[in-house]
Amino acid sequence: MSEKHRRVLDALELREPDRVPVMDLMNEFAVANAVLGKRPNPLTRLLVDPRTARICDRLIARTSFLPLVDQTMDTLAHRGAAAAVALGYDAAWITYLPVFRLRSSKELTDVFGRLYEMSVDRDGNLASPVYREGLIRGPEDWYAWPKREIFRLPEKVNRVFRNVQKESGEDLFIFGLANYGLFENAWQTMGFERFVVAARKERGFLRRVIAFYSDLQCMLVEAAADAGIPGFVLGDDLAYRSGPMLNPSLIEELFGDHYRRIAETAHSLGMKVLFHSCGNISSLLPFIADWGFDAVHPLEPTAGMNLAAAKREVGGRICLVGNLDISYLLVEGTREEVEEAVRQAIREAGPGGGFILAPDHSHPRISIPRLRWMVEAAHRWGVYPLQESGD
Amino acid sequence: MEDYPERVRSALSELDPEGITPLLSEALEAGTPATDLLRAMSEAMTEVGRRFESGEYFLADLVLAGEEMKEGLRLLEPHLPKGEAGAKGTVIMCTVRGDIHDIGKNLVVNMLTSAGFRVVDLGVDVPAEKVVEAVRRESPFAVGLSILLTTMVGSIGEVVEGLQSAGLRDRVKIAIGGACTTPELVERYGVDALGRDAVEAVRIFSSWAT
Repeated sequence: MSEKHRRVLDALELREPDRVPVMDLMNEFAVANAVLGKRPNPLTRLLVDPRTARICDRLIARTSFLPLVDQTMDTLAHRGAAAAVALGYDAAWITYLPVFRLRSSKELTDVFGRLYEMSVDRDGNLASPVYREGLIRGPEDWYAWPKREIFRLPEKVNRVFRNVQKESGEDLFIFGLANYGLFENAWQTMGFERFVVAARKERGFLRRVIAFYSDLQCMLVEAAADAGIPGFVLGDDLAYRSGPMLNPSLIEELFGDHYRRIAETAHSLGMKVLFHSCGNISSLLPFIADWGFDAVHPLEPTAGMNLAAAKREVGGRICLVGNLDISYLLVEGTREEVEEAVRQAIREAGPGGGFILAPDHSHPRISIPRLRWMVEAAHRWGVYPLQESGD
Repeated sequence: MEDYPERVRSALSELDPEGITPLLSEALEAGTPATDLLRAMSEAMTEVGRRFESGEYFLADLVLAGEEMKEGLRLLEPHLPKGEAGAKGTVIMCTVRGDIHDIGKNLVVNMLTSAGFRVVDLGVDVPAEKVVEAVRRESPFAVGLSILLTTMVGSIGEVVEGLQSAGLRDRVKIAIGGACTTPELVERYGVDALGRDAVEAVRIFSSWAT
């Protein structure tokens, strides 16, 4: 086992490693390309330029460009892993989501029923598409929705993760993300307003939808495990900046057993599984630990997440991953500010192990020098036994 | 005689799975004044907001109540005296340029409407010039800007500058809200308030209403 794998496993299993591991979400072309010195895909410009966009629209009306879109996601997964290695990370969240379809030069859909706007960053890289609305209005739409492409996902995920693992897996503990979470897939495909009405008035239908996505998620865990990657990410934003979007007891009722099943599936295959939810998840931390996940990310400081409090409450049961701010610190922060934030995070969550340092999300404007400062500071302040302790 | 306003108040604040529209139809048929029913709905929404702030209700509950309120208003509107709805003044609401998230914005729109404001909802991905046009046209006392994406915070500054250039900045107060908003942004762009959630937004706009 490589030094990096041992370090990450120690943290995930709540032991003190030799040093606090560092990881990141490598799901933006801007960051990966900048690290690797790659240029944006020139085809992206064709979609943005009004003169060529019209021609693209006509072509897109005739074909879904499915292989091209899937290939783009494949490239992102490979480059994300390679960039994570180049940055000196111990672990990385690698996304492979072969679910998008071009609807026009400005819009995308996914195989589940979301509509997005295309997003291109200032350098001309494709950025994460921006969710606009759900296309499924009710049970009839959902049952009629074509699911053939959904059923093909595990095979695609298995192929791409196998290659990424072969290429970068020795130098990196890979956490793969291959689908949206159960809550996100349930509400975003129908819109939040429609979802809350369904949660109140059409519970049976909603349960059916959630069970479908739970089965799929377990198949994807199997596919990722078969590909040889050691970690899996279940990304399911259950909260917004001031708290959970649903009553935690309703979350437990609708999703709890499914989350347990996903975590158990991963464990039975020897994988670790990380739960990601943006927002203020303070009140959900005990649930996430109870569901059996090995780690929780990102403990967003701008949503009021307090790392020291999280460590006190669930640090003995689940590994904490985060919580460096990406709204200011890793975009414009000074070297001293980055260093101090790293020190503070390690001071609060590092003692006893069970902590992995990471940015609290990703976006195209994150500064590469600041990511390097973060890694350097972690190497300086994260060596066990720690020089500073929050006790 | 049935106390329909009380039944409406209770059904909405308790988030009755049946919803309030069947009850409102029944109440109107029985001759209950629409203004009494509207008042009951507004009081119920205040109660929903109180329960949200106390932690008893969650975002989904607020949204559900807001959706019920919207349906109920649609039903009551033809029966209300002109000017009854929106009597507290006009607010312009939008999600800023470059951002298309609308859950928070829609919720604030519903909550403000139920609190008696006239809300002009410009939608999502709204450029600064459209906000300026709307301020000139609608004479609001306030503008609410919703933003979720960290990468688009500059759009707040564009609205502030647009209103300043048009000589309209002094006529309106500006509140911002959404996942990426912070007190630093309030200071950086010279806006007047930051709302952490829809209930706080209602409180902020109410404090500004003349």
